[in-house]
Amino acid sequence: METLLVALLNGLIYGLLLFMISSGLTLIFGMMGILNFAHASFYMLGAYLAFTAIHMFGFWGGVVFGTLGVALIGFVCERYLLRHVRRFGHVQELLLTFGLFFAFEEVVKLFYGPYAVAYSVPESLRFTAFHIGEVSYPFFRVLIGLTAIVMFAAIFCLLRFTRIGLVVRAAVLNPTMVQALGYNVSVIFSAMFAVGAGLAGLAGAMGGAYYTTNPNMATELGVIVFVVVVVGGLGSLGGALIASLLIGVLVSAIVYVDVTFGQILSAVGLVSDEVARSTLDVPLSSAAGVLPFLLMLLVLMFRPQGIAGDERA
Amino acid sequence: MKTVLYIGAAIAAAALLALPIFGDLGTMNLVIKIMIAAIFALGFNLLWGQAGLPSFGHAAYYGIGTFATIYMMNAIDRGGWFPTPLLPLVGAGAGFAFGLVAGWFATIRSGVYFAMITVALAELVSAIALKWEGLFGGEAGIRSIRTDWGPFSFQSTTSVYWLTLIWMLLVMAFLFGLQRSPFGLVVRGIRERELRVRFLGYDTHRVKTLVFAISAAVSGLAGGLLAISDESASMVLFQGSGSAFVVLNTVIGGAGVFLGPVIGAALTTSFAYFGANLSHFWMLYLGIAFVVTVMYAPQGIGGAIAQRARAVKAGEKAAFGTGDLIGIVAFALTFLGLIFLIEITGTICSEQYRASIASAKGVWPPVRLLGYDFNPLSPLPWLIGLLSLGAGIAIVVAQPHLRRPRLLDLVTTKAEAGK
Repeated sequence: METLLVALLNGLIYGLLLFMISSGLTLIFGMMGILNFAHASFYMLGAYLAFTAIHMFGFWGGVVFGTLGVALIGFVCERYLLRHVRRFGHVQELLLTFGLFFAFEEVVKLFYGPYAVAYSVPESLRFTAFHIGEVSYPFFRVLIGLTAIVMFAAIFCLLRFTRIGLVVRAAVLNPTMVQALGYNVSVIFSAMFAVGAGLAGLAGAMGGAYYTTNPNMATELGVIVFVVVVVGGLGSLGGALIASLLIGVLVSAIVYVDVTFGQILSAVGLVSDEVARSTLDVPLSSAAGVLPFLLMLLVLMFRPQGIAGDERA
Repeated sequence: MKTVLYIGAAIAAAALLALPIFGDLGTMNLVIKIMIAAIFALGFNLLWGQAGLPSFGHAAYYGIGTFATIYMMNAIDRGGWFPTPLLPLVGAGAGFAFGLVAGWFATIRSGVYFAMITVALAELVSAIALKWEGLFGGEAGIRSIRTDWGPFSFQSTTSVYWLTLIWMLLVMAFLFGLQRSPFGLVVRGIRERELRVRFLGYDTHRVKTLVFAISAAVSGLAGGLLAISDESASMVLFQGSGSAFVVLNTVIGGAGVFLGPVIGAALTTSFAYFGANLSHFWMLYLGIAFVVTVMYAPQGIGGAIAQRARAVKAGEKAAFGTGDLIGIVAFALTFLGLIFLIEITGTICSEQYRASIASAKGVWPPVRLLGYDFNPLSPLPWLIGLLSLGAGIAIVVAQPHLRRPRLLDLVTTKAEAGK
């Protein structure tokens, strides 16, 4: 019971981390129609920049440096690269971000080598937040979750209750009209891209310290983030939140189930015991990596626009 | 212009025919790899260029073709009847079957959604291959051997070369015919305006699924040829880099020209073959080349050549003018600058170099580059790099026709794209 509770809590926090990254992706898509392949690279860059700055400014300085640095990189990417291919259409934008994804990974390898770097949670933050039965739960995980929640609240309030948010939401719906009313829409777009990138950078600076920081982290997470936005519905913050939590919890929970596929199939009577022990000796927990994709296929079949996506897309 | 094309084709044909006589084993292997990459890219371009569906997960169908062929080769080895020269068809069949299922799901949505779904499907296959060691052989992969068939022996590299060449020509003829057929017309119609094709009475989802499956079949055929040439398969095939390379090949070569993907495949495969020996960072150069292509030559190299050929024919431009010469100089300078900056940064950041500093008691050993030794602490190599890069970019910016696309009104283009 306690292990299950811990697993669910882990899943919840992993889901919140996923949300930190997918929220930026989904915001940028909703606004500009750009699907940013390099978005998970921003997560990676956030972790590496924070790791670099940690020697100079300490852990929190590193996190701030990572966030702002990645926001700046995002701004430069939008202003000086993406904007120039916009006239060739969305697929060309997609290709450019795909190339950037490739290039960012190689740049990171250039400076830090192909292996993981020793970026970890500082000693001062390594204490137990609370106990669940016998299990002590680390404070830093809770902190990651809290950061995501605060961030969600901040974005939500910014978009919902402020004048800036009003203009931004209007720019999403009808950019030409907003431009005609005298707002500088291209600055709004650049700023939103920078904010989205910065959020991914923040997630990287926090998550990289807890999980591993290596040049593969963008690839590993990037695919899951894509699944999250397809399941949640592109352009919807609420959908991204629900899908992130769902996938986080599902993936974490299944690791604790200790049976193999062979055992299940032979119990039903589909295959013989011998096949179950040889070819199909695959633990169900190894499906943790496959589960998000199956969920995505199910959503595509029964609700192609995603949980909270609108019908038009 | 036509004569130039025929002369080019004749030279290429002569080179391909003469290679087994004059070429050494290494070159022959390289050309086999190029031809396989070309088939893969051609199949991919059926989906990308013709149907306008941006797939980023084609490695899955390629890998499935390879594994299916390996299993069939093992079956032949144990006494099966299947003729060895037709083995790639097994890969094609597996790719087609899998492509039908995957394509049905993926083509529910179009545009960027389609792209994401293909990525996720490829990752799904990759995750399964990673865990299911019983079928995919885990890290080590599975091996097989080529079996002779009737009077034909398939033990030498030369025989594999001929087999691959023949299959490449067959695939080219097939895809070219498909492109010219009424079916190809419907496919291009869907790319241009799907709704209109639907009003004409076509079931576009079915057509898209079929195109996806054919594309996957050709990819699987390429995978089958890889299985024949390498006699092994491993789950590395399913990793993202396979999907990335075929996109790179197609885009760099030019998706709008039939032979564009072949040009791209030849360039990147050769670059990977030679570059991997010369530099640890060849992937970075490739990534930069890709970004530059997307920004400045979205039609790719093949597209740029075709465009120039049309301009020459219309008498608007010379086949080779001073502008091209300046462009080449700018390119060479930029490339030289990049080499200096990337290689020296990469070397001094590597763990090996740190270790050699430690063993030399704090003295930074020289970095060898282009045959000369440079001291990384002196400003000389950095200055060469920065000046060369700066000069190259300055020339580009000064040239009106090489300048980056003018700042277009962001909003109107977005509005147009939304229509």
